[in-house]
Amino acid sequence: MSDLEVGSTSEQTEIALSGRTIAAMSAAWLMPGCGHLMLGKKSRALVFFLTVMTAIAVGCLLEGNLHRILPNQPLTLLATLGSMGSGIPYFALRFVAGYQGNVIAPGYEYGSAFLLTAGLMNLLLVLDVYDIARGRKS
Amino acid sequence: MLSHAFLMTLYAFLVSVFFAFLWKRQRREQIRLFLQLFLGMVLGAIALAWLMYPFPSGPPTPFP
Repeated sequence: MSDLEVGSTSEQTEIALSGRTIAAMSAAWLMPGCGHLMLGKKSRALVFFLTVMTAIAVGCLLEGNLHRILPNQPLTLLATLGSMGSGIPYFALRFVAGYQGNVIAPGYEYGSAFLLTAGLMNLLLVLDVYDIARGRKS
Repeated sequence: MLSHAFLMTLYAFLVSVFFAFLWKRQRREQIRLFLQLFLGMVLGAIALAWLMYPFPSGPPTPFP
């Protein structure tokens, strides 16, 4: 009976840890830097927020492509997943602001690179938050 | 704003700052990594452009 109690306490601790980790990772994906902020890394959170959001802003100013899945073009799936790594900014731009990019704009290619890079950087932040939450990194 | 050099430098700056803070924790290490990445990207791109200079260019660029 005693062992069972110890076991259940340990399981509860593990569940609590997992819940905190998942919450931080979700926050990190939804808004750049938010996961680090939840874990108490305020200065890093600010830097990550500024770098990712600046990349998104520059990409939009240049009218770059906010990737979406196109039929018969399988690589657009990967690009879309990468861009969706930005979290809320991606969905806000696409579904709220109706942003599409402008293929004839002079900065289209550069803008697309900035937007895609922002999403990929934020995905790396999600992994970093996982490592920090699990105690693998400081 | 629509300058190849400016946009390349801005891109290199953002990526370098990001990875310096992602991979390093000590301020001294962050500055060191930032400089390595930033200078590596900017100077590497200029060197690559210089090496490609003898090759014929494509159609005129839309940039002013």
